[in-house]
Amino acid sequence: MSRLWAWVDSRTGLGDLWKEAAGEPVPGGARARYVFGSVLTFLFMQQVVLGILLATYYSPSVSDAWASTAYLQDQVTGGWFLRGLHHHGSSAMVVVVVLHMIQVVLSGAYRAPREFNWWIGLALGGLVLAFALTGYLLPWDQKGYWATQVATGIMGSVPGGGGAQQVLQGGVEYGNLTLTRFYAVHVFVLPLALGGLLVAHIYLFRRHGVTPPATLSEEELRRTTQPFMPYQLFLDVLAMTVTGGVLVALTVATHGAELYAPADPASNFVARPEWYFLSLFQLLKYFEGPLQIIGTVLIPGGVATFLLALPFIDRSPSRTASSRRRVLLMVGTLMAAVVALTAIAAVEDAQNEGYQEGQSAARANASRARELALEGVLPEGGPAVWRNDPAYEAKVTFSERCAVCHGVDGVGGDEAPDLGGFSTREWLVGAIRTPRASNYFGGTKGHTDMEAYDEAALPKAQLDAVVEYLVRLRAEPDVMPWDETLAAQGAKLWEEELECSGCHEVNAGDGGGAPNFAGRGRAEWIARVIRNSGGPDLYEDSAEMPSFEGKLTDAEIDALAAYVHGLGLE
Amino acid sequence: MAAPPDDPGRRKFLNAGIGVMGAGLAGTVLAPATGLVLFPLHEDVTSGGDEFVVVGDRAQFGAVPRRVEIFADRKDAWNRVTRVRIGAAFVVLNGETLSAFSTVCPHLGCGIDFDEGSSCFKCPCHRSSFDLEGAVTEGPAPRGLDALQIEDRGGSIAVMYQRFRQGVAQQELLG
Repeated sequence: MSRLWAWVDSRTGLGDLWKEAAGEPVPGGARARYVFGSVLTFLFMQQVVLGILLATYYSPSVSDAWASTAYLQDQVTGGWFLRGLHHHGSSAMVVVVVLHMIQVVLSGAYRAPREFNWWIGLALGGLVLAFALTGYLLPWDQKGYWATQVATGIMGSVPGGGGAQQVLQGGVEYGNLTLTRFYAVHVFVLPLALGGLLVAHIYLFRRHGVTPPATLSEEELRRTTQPFMPYQLFLDVLAMTVTGGVLVALTVATHGAELYAPADPASNFVARPEWYFLSLFQLLKYFEGPLQIIGTVLIPGGVATFLLALPFIDRSPSRTASSRRRVLLMVGTLMAAVVALTAIAAVEDAQNEGYQEGQSAARANASRARELALEGVLPEGGPAVWRNDPAYEAKVTFSERCAVCHGVDGVGGDEAPDLGGFSTREWLVGAIRTPRASNYFGGTKGHTDMEAYDEAALPKAQLDAVVEYLVRLRAEPDVMPWDETLAAQGAKLWEEELECSGCHEVNAGDGGGAPNFAGRGRAEWIARVIRNSGGPDLYEDSAEMPSFEGKLTDAEIDALAAYVHGLGLE
Repeated sequence: MAAPPDDPGRRKFLNAGIGVMGAGLAGTVLAPATGLVLFPLHEDVTSGGDEFVVVGDRAQFGAVPRRVEIFADRKDAWNRVTRVRIGAAFVVLNGETLSAFSTVCPHLGCGIDFDEGSSCFKCPCHRSSFDLEGAVTEGPAPRGLDALQIEDRGGSIAVMYQRFRQGVAQQELLG
C-alpha cells in the first residue's frame, strides 16, 4: 500500500498538496467563528450530490415535471428524504451565508487587502439566491409556479426588462421552455459559476489568511498559531455535523419538502415566496403604480451597492469594532430592516384569514392530487392527474350529458330541477313550497301534479316535521342524521292529516306514480333515476328524463350518482 | 482557545473525531441515495402487457409470418398511458400450430425482420438467422426466438407480449 502511494505521490505530488492544504497555519489558533465558510462549502457539495440524485428521477417538461416530482416524493425509496434535504439545504445555505457575512463584517474582513474576496463573497451570496429562485419552479406545482410568476413579473415590470424576462422564461408565457431554461440554469450554469467563484474565494482566502481578532498582538498571534488540520478542521466538521443534524431533523419533522397540486394557470393560488424572500415580497406592498420600481429595483439595488462599496465606505483607521461603530451600525440597521419586513409579512399572513383558508384548501388539494398520482398520470401531465378521480370524470359527464336540463346552483339548464344542494332539508322545503319554480319542476313538461304547499296549507312547524320525516325515510344517518321526535311528528302528520300519501308511497318498492320516499336521495336511488326514471316507484308516466341505461356504463352512472349525492352533502 | 497550540494526543483525538463525523455526514446522504439509485431493482417501474391482446382473426394468419403490433395500457414510472404500442410479434402457422414470436432478437435486442427470399427471420444487427419455428440457424444468438403465449378465442387470436433477458441461452422472463 505504502509503495503504491509512493508511486502515485512521486508522479502527482498529492502528498505535498495535502501537506500544504492541511498544514495551513491559523494565526491565533482555531476558532469557532471561522467555521461558516467551510460549512457553506459542505452544504454546496451536499446540494450538488443531492441535486444529481434528484435529477435521476426528475423530468423538466410541463407535462412531466410535477408527475415525476410526485413519483420521486411519494413512490421512490428515500425520494422524499433526499428531496427534503435538498429543499431545506437551500434554506440552510441562506442562513449560513448571512452568518458568514455577519462574521466577516464584525471582524472587518472586507477591508483592505481583502476587498476582492468580499466582492466574490457577495456574488456567491447572489448565486445562492439565484439557485433558490430557479429551483423553486422546477416541481411545477402551484406554489412554485405562482411564486415564480411574481419574480419574472418583477423583471418584466422594470424598464427594458420585458425582453430579458422573455429570454429567461423562453417566451411571453410559461411553458416547456421556461422549465428547460430554469433547469439548465439551475443544474449547469449556477453550479459551474458557484464552483468557479468558490475556488477563487478559497484561493484569495488562503492568500490573505484568516482575519483574527483585531485585539490580539502580532506576537500573541504567532505564539498561538495552530495548523489547520486537525484543529480548525475539527471545529469545521463539528459545525457541519450540527448543520447536517439540523437538516435531517427538519427534513424528518416536515416529511421533506412540500409538493402542492400541479400548476394550474386557471386557479387563484395565493402565492408566497420562500421565507428568505419575504422581506422583498413585503417591500412590494408599500409601493404602488409608477413607484413600484422603488420596491423592486431601487431599494434592493441600493442595498447591493452599499454592500459592494462597504470597503470604501469604511474609512476607519483600525479594524477594531470600536473604531468601526458607524459601519457596524449601518449594517445592523439594514439587517434589522430585513428582519422587521420579514416579520411583518409573516404576521400579516398569520392574521389573514383568506390566506389561511387558501393554504388549507391548497394543502387538501395537494394531498388529493398526490394520492391520485399514485396510479400514474396521463401523458398530458400535471393537471391530467385529476382525471384519475372518478368524481372529476363524473363532473365532466354531468356537464356533457346532464347540464343541458339540470342546473347546479343556477348554472346550467332549467328544464329539470337544479341539483345544487340536492335533497338537503333546504332543497326539500323548496320542493314542497315552490315545486313549480324553475329551479324545481317548473320547466319539466310532464311534471304537473305536485301542487305548491304555502304557509296556509302547511304551517312551518308541520313543514319542518314532514321534511324531517323525509330525511328519516332516506335513512342515511352517516351523512344526514335526523331528529327522531320531529320525524315521528312528521310521520303522524303524513299518515293522519296531510294528503302526500295519496301519491307518494313510503314502503320500499310500492309504486304510486310519484316517487316513493323510501331511500329517496341516497346515491343508489339517484343511480336508479339516472338509469331509468320511469319506474312505478319513481316518476312513472311523468318521467321526462331520458333513460341512460346502456348509454353510460355502470361505473359512469355510479360515479355520476355519487357526484349528485355529493352536491347535497355540504 | 487557550489550549497549547499543538499536542500529539489531542491531534489523535481530533483526527478520530473528524473521521467519525465525516463518515456520519457522508452516510446521511449515501445510505438513502443507495435506496434511491437501486429502486428499479426491486420495483416494477414499468408495467403493461401482462394480459392477452387480440391481434387478429385466425383466418388472417398462415404459413408466411405476419407481423402484428401489440397495443396495451402501460405504466411507465410516473405516467400511465392508455392503448400505446408496447411491441410487435410475428404470427406464423407451422403445420397445425400457430406460433407468435417476439420481434426482439434474443441476442442483444435488435428488431428482427422476416426475409421472404430465404423464408427466415433475420436480425439486421449481428446476422443471426432463425427458421420459421424460431430456431437459430446462423449467427451469435444464444437461443431461438422468444415464443409468446398465444390463445385462440373463438377465432380471434390473442397474444401476451412479454420481454425476456437478452444474451443468455435459457429464456428468462423480465420483471
